[in-house]
Amino acid sequence: MALTHVTWARLARVNGLLGALLLVSLAAAAAIGPVALDWRRVFDASSGIAPDAVILFRARIPRVLLAAIVGGALAIAGAALQALLRNPLAEPHLVGISSGAALAAVLALVTLPVALGQALIAPIAAFAGALVSIWIVVRLAFVGERVDPYTLLLIGVIYNAFTGALLMFINSVVDLYQAHGVLFWLMGHVGTREYPTLAALGLYSAIGLALLLWRARDLDCLSLGDERAAELGVDVECARRAVFVAAALLVGAVVSVSGLIGFVGLVVPHLMRLLVGADHRMLLPASYLAGAIFLVWADTVARTALGVTEIPVGVVTAICGAPVFAYLLRRERRLVEQ
Amino acid sequence: MLGSTHPFLALVAALTLATQAIAVRAPQAIAAAPTPQPSLAPPGRIVSLAPSITETLFALGAGARVVAVSDHCDYPPEVTRLPRVGSFNSPSVEAVLAARPDVVIGAPSPGNHENVRTMLRLGVRVEIVDPERLADVPAMTRRLAAIAGEPAAGERLVAAMARDMEAVRRKVAGAPKPRVLMLVGQEPLIAVGPESFLGEMLVEAGAVNVAPAGSWPRLNVEIVIAADPEVIIDCSMGTEAGTASLAYWTRFPSLSAVKSRRVHPFRAFEALRPGPRVAIALEELARLLHPERF
Repeated sequence: MALTHVTWARLARVNGLLGALLLVSLAAAAAIGPVALDWRRVFDASSGIAPDAVILFRARIPRVLLAAIVGGALAIAGAALQALLRNPLAEPHLVGISSGAALAAVLALVTLPVALGQALIAPIAAFAGALVSIWIVVRLAFVGERVDPYTLLLIGVIYNAFTGALLMFINSVVDLYQAHGVLFWLMGHVGTREYPTLAALGLYSAIGLALLLWRARDLDCLSLGDERAAELGVDVECARRAVFVAAALLVGAVVSVSGLIGFVGLVVPHLMRLLVGADHRMLLPASYLAGAIFLVWADTVARTALGVTEIPVGVVTAICGAPVFAYLLRRERRLVEQ
Repeated sequence: MLGSTHPFLALVAALTLATQAIAVRAPQAIAAAPTPQPSLAPPGRIVSLAPSITETLFALGAGARVVAVSDHCDYPPEVTRLPRVGSFNSPSVEAVLAARPDVVIGAPSPGNHENVRTMLRLGVRVEIVDPERLADVPAMTRRLAAIAGEPAAGERLVAAMARDMEAVRRKVAGAPKPRVLMLVGQEPLIAVGPESFLGEMLVEAGAVNVAPAGSWPRLNVEIVIAADPEVIIDCSMGTEAGTASLAYWTRFPSLSAVKSRRVHPFRAFEALRPGPRVAIALEELARLLHPERF
């Protein structure tokens, strides 16, 4: 695999362009919504608390920002898993890490007393669930010395079926009010969160991104194979652990606020690999920005397409992502057979 | 299906409320299934597959003959001692047969019709009642009374419900109607739409429902802020796992309901099913909407 040459200038150019595109997307998405805003009243301080201002600053902007953070985190988690597992089809949702995180969060929420502070418990439990899930799925997918791509996907299917069954089991034993909460996790939903929650989530995803960027060269080497990576001086086990923790942190954080949203981690890194190359110092920040743009627009479709009624955003990402997945799977098969 | 929610959500909402038969219509096959005519002797052993049916049977004085109920049946308190035959959505054929019923009474649900068909095939007498709207409640009550062999009690119950409902209506008559949002979930925000039993109850209690359409519309909170309800009745507060709280609403200070502290949890929520307690539930709702009249 030829690594594209990365210079500071190119890094700045690509990320500057994507960053500008993200800012435009954020602004455009904040301007679009089921309620048409009266912009004079939004910025008119004399009218007291105008509903238009509340809609924009307390409802719409937090939601658009949440979509950006969730999309970015899912995209780089996907990019990292794809490099680590040397599998272009690895994606947090497809291989079961997201549902493992959701299962742990739901288990914590229904078993632990409310007094412990559920806002704190859910992300921690989701992180733990994601970490355990990565470990289980990768352990099971190892055939001999390497992770077989198709075995990994099948293990992911089975692991998803298993965690899905446990979630449905919890759903059938908890009381009816809690059941409503359990199903929320399965549907994938970008909600309206408060700014401190967004800040915490932004911090988690920044830590995840930093951890992955720090290991970007290792990811490049690992995507050549464990043996090649070891020859190139990478401590394979150590690097693998660092990347797993980073991916679990990212997935756990976003699942704990928005449930299961699939395919972002698949579509975005692939598109970015085509556009900016496979060098992770380039790919990771580009994927983060592009993932943010993608989910901001997917959620804009989700909240406006049907007028006043909402569509779960996971529906939009799956409709975009499933055909891409099918295309990639076919292409992989052809490459293998040649 | 504009205005109505994701079918899965509709199902969830139905389950959440345990007011079966609100969100989902009867499959034709069940509605048309040949059910034996009520025999002259009133049934001695009745199995109820839905909370509203169980409640009505007890209110008719036929409670002693109810021998098994669905997992969701919770009222009156006596039913908690009765054997369970599974959820209203998936009743267990075996558990129903084990109760040796003279009649099984159920409501249409998305998941129960294969099992109900099996019961019919095994020669069990099954009656399906479908109280989807408020206006169906008297007919459902009379039908259950006929099946249970308590027609006189049925007429008395229907008359009592009509009288109590009318008393509430009279109390709120002429009062200015507040704009109201009633919801069953915050994130995502699932509202009580005008085309549901609860939506009809809201109107009866003297409200203008701000939810635009459908039976369980999933709304963007922007719509709510723009519609600016004067009263918010949040059935999820204090009950839902996780996120539901008053803090959710105080974030939106322009809301009239927040400014005038009229965001209410709804404690009598369990009574909000198409059964004998409709008048009690209606009064609870009316009290929240028109406190000055009570």
